[in-house]
Amino acid sequence: MQLAKEIWFLLRKEVKLELRMNYAISGILLYLFSTIFIVYSAFRTVKPEAWNALFWIIVLFTSVSAIVKSFVQENGGRQLYFYSIVNPTAMILSKIIYNILLLFLLSLLTWLGFVFIGGNPIRDAGQFILALFLGSVGFSITFTFISAIAVKANNSSTLLAVLSFPLVIPILLTLIKLTANALRILNDTGIQRDVLILIAIDMLLLSMTFILYPFLWRD
Amino acid sequence: MIQKHWWKALGVVILIYSFTAGMLVPLKPGIVEVAPQSAATGTTVEFKVTGYNSHYKEAEDSLRAWLKMDNEHALGADKINVLDDQHLRVTFSIPEYLPNKDRVKDFSLLLDNTVDGASVLPSAVFVTQDSIDPAMGQAAWVNSPIANLSSKDAMNFPFRNILAEGIRNTYYHVPLWFAMILIFLGSVVYSIRYLRTYDPMYDHRAQALNTAGLLFGILGLVTGSIWAKFTWGAYWNWDVKQNMTAIALLIYLAYFILRNSFEDDEQKARISSVYNLFAFAALIPLIYVIPRLTDSLHPGAGGNPAMGGEDLDNTMRMVFYPAIIGWTLIGLWIANLFYRTKQLEHRLLDL
Repeated sequence: MQLAKEIWFLLRKEVKLELRMNYAISGILLYLFSTIFIVYSAFRTVKPEAWNALFWIIVLFTSVSAIVKSFVQENGGRQLYFYSIVNPTAMILSKIIYNILLLFLLSLLTWLGFVFIGGNPIRDAGQFILALFLGSVGFSITFTFISAIAVKANNSSTLLAVLSFPLVIPILLTLIKLTANALRILNDTGIQRDVLILIAIDMLLLSMTFILYPFLWRD
Repeated sequence: MIQKHWWKALGVVILIYSFTAGMLVPLKPGIVEVAPQSAATGTTVEFKVTGYNSHYKEAEDSLRAWLKMDNEHALGADKINVLDDQHLRVTFSIPEYLPNKDRVKDFSLLLDNTVDGASVLPSAVFVTQDSIDPAMGQAAWVNSPIANLSSKDAMNFPFRNILAEGIRNTYYHVPLWFAMILIFLGSVVYSIRYLRTYDPMYDHRAQALNTAGLLFGILGLVTGSIWAKFTWGAYWNWDVKQNMTAIALLIYLAYFILRNSFEDDEQKARISSVYNLFAFAALIPLIYVIPRLTDSLHPGAGGNPAMGGEDLDNTMRMVFYPAIIGWTLIGLWIANLFYRTKQLEHRLLDL
């Protein structure tokens, strides 16, 4: 139970920090809404196929900019402090959980922004929210782990994009298919299989993260 | 010397064998084309048949031909005229009715003779019937059962219609991917050993193997694209396997970018080993899971058989499996050379 306690403690720390430094989250939100606004001013009317692509591209880039700071903000001294008091699994897990919540919130807000400006093309909201949640989990695991790698190098934000985009493409393609189904562009009765693939990929990446993170963080 | 380097020689010998056998063994006789491709019921039609690697002149007396609908229904030829070794004129009189309910039905053309053995062209002729009556069809149908097909024992590769001579690429394109995965697996083993011992030698080996693996991946993609141009019509077909392998190569290119962005050698080795393990785990769903679940032009997806049936017969296996071993050994040799230049560089810089 020590682990759960540590995770809870670190999670509270993340939320507190986020609320205290609210310029970060407001920056992301501003970024999000201006992108949606630009997209709609350029397109005027968006067909469901294009909606699907635009939505996920915006979510993808917002996620990257939201997560890139997750390890950058931990400067050397604080990193050393955490290293001496908590266990690495608690550290990475708390960051992943926090980022899942953040990304889920951000993707719901993206949807809200799209609905506000251009109406709602989603026919099956339950399925769409499920896709958003699974997407947040997959993006969060990959981006958090890769940002832990990238922060060790010099040009971390470029490196994060270069390293993580190819890794999230399988997740992204499955998500686009799920969303296409929720938009009724595509009529697929076998969506359970796609959901299972997503869960399996998430579990695989999560277990690799658990095994590998302890090697990353000692410096 | 021999004890230490025998595997390199073995790799070279196997590759020479796979190149010579893969290029020189002829294809089985087959049928390239039948003209016209459609016919109506109640007519007598003369089809012009173009064969491949066939010896019709020599086998004139034993030539037989059928239009085959299914296992119970086949129509024998009325007359066969041999023009030359590759060309025939076959005449069929098609009955008034077909014994089925479809308006248009595809028939396979089956040829048999004692010199070439049996050869078949699937969906060679489409027969159209104006009025549909399966009962009348059953009555009117003169069935000539296909029996006593001659078989010919020879060292031959199968003749597949869309592939023709392109089938030989099976020995170059496919083993390159197998070898790539084996080499990446070797790199994973060295990365794990590095993380257990922190001996920089293991990291250098892992990097060398990844370089060789990436090289094979690029070669696999190139041979595949050339093959795709001739069988599917374009170099890039947006096939799921093509997309996924392109992504896989991007993941491994990112490995080298990551390596170059560190100055500290210990940190470079440790972090790139971690990324290497993570990348390999991400590669498994990319190459082995997702392509199997979606439709693909490649064999082994969307219900196509892979590595079996008529796509890979026993003669092909005799070349195909050694080719995998040969390419893997050559890949290891290439990786070994990369590793040794790396070591030399290190020694030079230390001096």
